[in-house]
Amino acid sequence: MTAMRIERTPQSSLVARPESGSWRAFDAQLAVAALALAVIGLLMAWTNSPDGPLSPGSIFTRGLMWFALAIVAFAAVASFDFRWLRTLSWLIYLVNLGLLVLTLVIGITINGAQRWILVAGLTFQISEISKVIMIGVLATFLEARRESLGKVSTLIGAGLLTAPPFLLVMIQPDLGSALVLVAILTGALFLSGASLRWMGLAAGSVVAMVPVIWSILQDYQRRRLLSFLDPTSDPQGAGFQVIQAQIAVSSGGLFGKGLTNGTQGASDLLPVQSTDFAFAVLLEELGFMGGIVVFLLFVWLIWRVLLIGWRSGTVFGIAVAGGTAAMIVFQLLVNAGMIVGMMPVTGIPLPFITHGGASLVSTAIALGLLQSIAMRTEQPRPSW
Amino acid sequence: MSDYVLGRPEPPQTRLGVRFGVFGLIVVLVVGALTTRLFYIQAVQGSYYSDLADQNLHQTLPIKSARGIIYDRAGRELAINIPSYVVYIRPADMPFSQRDAVSDRLATLLGLDQAEIIAAVDRYASQRFELVRIASDVSSDAARIIVEESRNLPGVEIGIEDRRQYEYGPLMSHVLGYVAPISADQFAQLSDSGYLRDDQIGQTGVEARFEDVLRGTYGQEQVERDASGRIARIVQIIQQPEAGDSLELTIDAEIQREATDALQWATDIVHLQHGVIIVANPQTGEILAMVSLPTYDDNLFARGITTAEYQALIDNPNHPLVNYAISEQYPPGSTYKLVTASGGLMDGVITPTSQLETAAYLEIGPYRYYDWNRRGFGPLDVTQAYAKSSDTFFYQVAGMLGVDRLAYWADQWGFGKRTGIDLPAEARGIIPTNAWKQSVFGQDVFPGEAYHAGIGQGYDAATPLQLLNAYSALANGGTLYKPQIVRRVLAPDGTVVRDFQPEVLSTVGVDPDVLLTMRLAAREVVTSRHSGNLVDLPLVVAGKTGTAEFGVRDGQGRLPFHSWFVAFVPNFTADQPGDPAATDSQLAIVAFAYDAVVKANAATEMVKYFLQDHYDLGVDLTRPDLMQAGNLWGGN
Repeated sequence: MTAMRIERTPQSSLVARPESGSWRAFDAQLAVAALALAVIGLLMAWTNSPDGPLSPGSIFTRGLMWFALAIVAFAAVASFDFRWLRTLSWLIYLVNLGLLVLTLVIGITINGAQRWILVAGLTFQISEISKVIMIGVLATFLEARRESLGKVSTLIGAGLLTAPPFLLVMIQPDLGSALVLVAILTGALFLSGASLRWMGLAAGSVVAMVPVIWSILQDYQRRRLLSFLDPTSDPQGAGFQVIQAQIAVSSGGLFGKGLTNGTQGASDLLPVQSTDFAFAVLLEELGFMGGIVVFLLFVWLIWRVLLIGWRSGTVFGIAVAGGTAAMIVFQLLVNAGMIVGMMPVTGIPLPFITHGGASLVSTAIALGLLQSIAMRTEQPRPSW
Repeated sequence: MSDYVLGRPEPPQTRLGVRFGVFGLIVVLVVGALTTRLFYIQAVQGSYYSDLADQNLHQTLPIKSARGIIYDRAGRELAINIPSYVVYIRPADMPFSQRDAVSDRLATLLGLDQAEIIAAVDRYASQRFELVRIASDVSSDAARIIVEESRNLPGVEIGIEDRRQYEYGPLMSHVLGYVAPISADQFAQLSDSGYLRDDQIGQTGVEARFEDVLRGTYGQEQVERDASGRIARIVQIIQQPEAGDSLELTIDAEIQREATDALQWATDIVHLQHGVIIVANPQTGEILAMVSLPTYDDNLFARGITTAEYQALIDNPNHPLVNYAISEQYPPGSTYKLVTASGGLMDGVITPTSQLETAAYLEIGPYRYYDWNRRGFGPLDVTQAYAKSSDTFFYQVAGMLGVDRLAYWADQWGFGKRTGIDLPAEARGIIPTNAWKQSVFGQDVFPGEAYHAGIGQGYDAATPLQLLNAYSALANGGTLYKPQIVRRVLAPDGTVVRDFQPEVLSTVGVDPDVLLTMRLAAREVVTSRHSGNLVDLPLVVAGKTGTAEFGVRDGQGRLPFHSWFVAFVPNFTADQPGDPAATDSQLAIVAFAYDAVVKANAATEMVKYFLQDHYDLGVDLTRPDLMQAGNLWGGN
């Protein structure tokens, strides 16, 4: 009977909202938490610019540029009436697929993976943008099927929507980003009320396919997974980064060595310190306390994200919140987990902290979308 | 339940609250797990790591000492140290992303296999700040290019270190041995004695046996490392290294050259698989030359032998790495009749003048034991029998002595036990006794086997050095000396640390008159022309030939054989020729030719060649024509 009730979810949840949004309803807490994280990210860019933070083309100056771009994107998307997405989502979806295909054709190959395209001298990782696009597309899809959320067809449809970008990212190859898409799909479906039975079944079949997936994994991906189980098994390769990261982290202690005083990062011992291992440098230089601050900011941010979704009272809002929260939590788990040796090395950025411009902009767009929802949610808010 | 109102329908939250709660719980669990793990690493483990870091800041490092020099008895430098370039990689300084490019470039520059470089770097994964040796003795050109390209070769360092240089190369390899990188097993045993993982150690020959003397004592210095593990400065020298002591060998490089020439000459003509010449001073036991062919160049090892070079040495069917002078044992053949004859005389089964009838063969039951001379010699006394090398004579003597008594006299002459020369891998030899055969085969020695034991065949086995030592004892009047290879140990400043005195192993329990008889009998071998034209040399030589059969009979029932000749040169002056009755010989020599199936005795020709050269006799009586393939058929 519960399923029947879900099917009867109302049809007109997207009407009767203020067109331009109400800046009074702007969720300041969300913005402050995100801003704090982004500033910490900039600090890490500062400390990780070995040739001086202000030198042209340094990680810091590039970080500043991306930071500005992210603010603009955030404000623009917040001002934008998210309801237009209903019209535009298919177009955006197709553009996204096109860009992913383009990446495979003209992309720059770094460390054996073709993930980046060069735009105006900046390398841009399209798979990052795919994440936020999938959040919007899935939310639109689920909103459209709000009366049959419990049906297996909704699940299959969402899965079919996610599959093309997932596969295109997989063959770059970028297992990490592909898994983030799965996390987004799961988060959006779970919070918006998809059938748990069918989700469980789907998850079960994925687990059953692990041996098949193992057989199609790239060698380096298998090595990474294996080196996660035993870092010393491949000390020069993937295990090397894990070992170095843990040395860096553990040498940080409770209060860290202070910004720019890290040894591991500075001496290039973290081979990709400027990307996925930035959090390790943070933990070395700012210590356990710095790590706790970052974790608390993330918790605060996710709390606001979920709250906006909850208050929106719409499948669309809930799905955006679920997708965004799942994206952030999953990346936090995998990236920070990798650095503290709980997770394999998968090359997933930590939002805000990792010096990846696309990741920051992508996250800013997702948060902007949530602001847009918050600003267009009918007042007054629920009292709790 | 279905009457939703437009605009603000029943909020989905009421049904989804649990899901939001579960989601929130997952977030809390994720962050909680990360926090716990982080606390463990940073607060609990962290102190461990920072302690480790402090210890590493000041570190005590060894300073290598200069290895002692090796000289020959005339003061010629045989093994010295020369500076050479070494290429190292510090794995921690080589970013993983550049590993392939760096190792590929190094492989090209150094002529190595890229996979070998990567394997070397990975070998000590847990010590990434320690230098890993990639190549030794790099050419100055390659070293210069590496320095110039250092920006593109992160982690690669050039060092200068002493390496061993063997001035005479293959000439001295079996005696000197070589130093080479310490093996993992050796390091496990010796790391407590101050050996380093990157150390060199004497692996064989004198270099190995006198490792303790040559190595010296490593010093210690305290260094300060910077945060990334590089040495920032040397704080203090805690202990200066002490150079190793030098060795002066008993070997004379010039005599070694003469012996090598003689052996090489015969090897080329006869196409020997391997052969040996050893020259010694019977008065002291000093080895003047020790040659085993084929040989190898010990500089290959000192420079850092490549896998291919090493494999070639291992695959060589003649095993050039084996020192056949001491490490292999062979049937001594008729040279062993010294034991049988002296034992027979001592035990009274024969007298110097008593005669035994010799024949084509002796019979024991259905078996016939042939003399090499298929007609027999008729009645012979011991001197004649020794000179003609009659087998049936010595079968009878052996039969009368019995195998155990024969073994007793063999033991008196030093057979069946190591001489104790200061070189590794000396073989023991075999002297059959009833007890020995019981322990090995579970039965007593058969009478026929005793016969064979009496002529140095059957189970008898001896090293060339044992045979030389026995005949040296004959030449000096019955004293068995320990063969010596090192004469003196010299401190770096040249003062004598240790003077090796002649070391008596034992006195052969044979009466002087019997020894005299045997010395004259050995001279008779030469004068009776049993050893061909050797007697025509303007030099008094006494010795004994041996033809030791081994292996598988050919179509005519003949066995292949090794040739032996062991001799001594009685001391002589310009106007006083040597006297074989005297015990003043300064030179004894043994020559051995493996599988030398030729018309005459190849070993005798080698000794002749050597003596002509060594004593500058001004004649050439060598008979290459007799060294053509053929079969002297038992012409002992």
